[in-house]
Amino acid sequence: MTGAARVVCSPVGGTVTALADVPDPVFSQAMVGPGIAVEPRDGHGDAVSPIDGTLTTVHAHAFVVAGDDGEAVLVHLGIDTVKQQGEGFTLHVVKGERVRAGQPVVGWDPAAVREAGYAPIVPVIALDAQQEALRAADTGSEVGAGDELFTWTG
Amino acid sequence: MADERPGQILAALGGADNVVEIEGCITRLRCELEDGSVVDEAALKQAGAHGVMKSGAVVQVVVGPEADAIAEDIQDLL
Repeated sequence: MTGAARVVCSPVGGTVTALADVPDPVFSQAMVGPGIAVEPRDGHGDAVSPIDGTLTTVHAHAFVVAGDDGEAVLVHLGIDTVKQQGEGFTLHVVKGERVRAGQPVVGWDPAAVREAGYAPIVPVIALDAQQEALRAADTGSEVGAGDELFTWTG
Repeated sequence: MADERPGQILAALGGADNVVEIEGCITRLRCELEDGSVVDEAALKQAGAHGVMKSGAVVQVVVGPEADAIAEDIQDLL
């Protein structure tokens, strides 16, 4: 681990939202790490990898990318979307695959998630990081998929 | 980290007989139990759980990114 700040990109386009506003205590209370959420724009699109690294966990609705210096970022597409059992999600990758920041990982449609009765918000979590290590984009600002979402120092 | 956690977590959930279904989901174990009231939250936290959310017979145990592996280990114990 170095002192350099690494850039974590937004996996989706949308509105930057405080993690505390995510309707799931695992995320809103930062139980697995701090981060920030993105309220995605409607329309079918690809969620992209937030960093360069290796996909250590891949579900249809969520994935973890581990960078080469051990940091890992969790992207969760919507809340309780595990119950959709992959329906409406199209995986472009497999577990263990190397990805680049900005590379498409999962195709999905936030509007379809909402219609199915789930919140499509996307928490992006710096696993096991310290809150102070993150510098996030301003809540309420708009980001595109692949734009810088936060920096992570340490 | 092999690993006493799966056994400890299973015991804290009331043992194999109390588990209807258990599934790993990225950072948490989603458990459907026969009886949610017997869950020992203190023991779960001692076994490394970051948090426990109970809603009747459905209990979510937040264990961090190894949740999928822990869930598989617990399934092997059932």
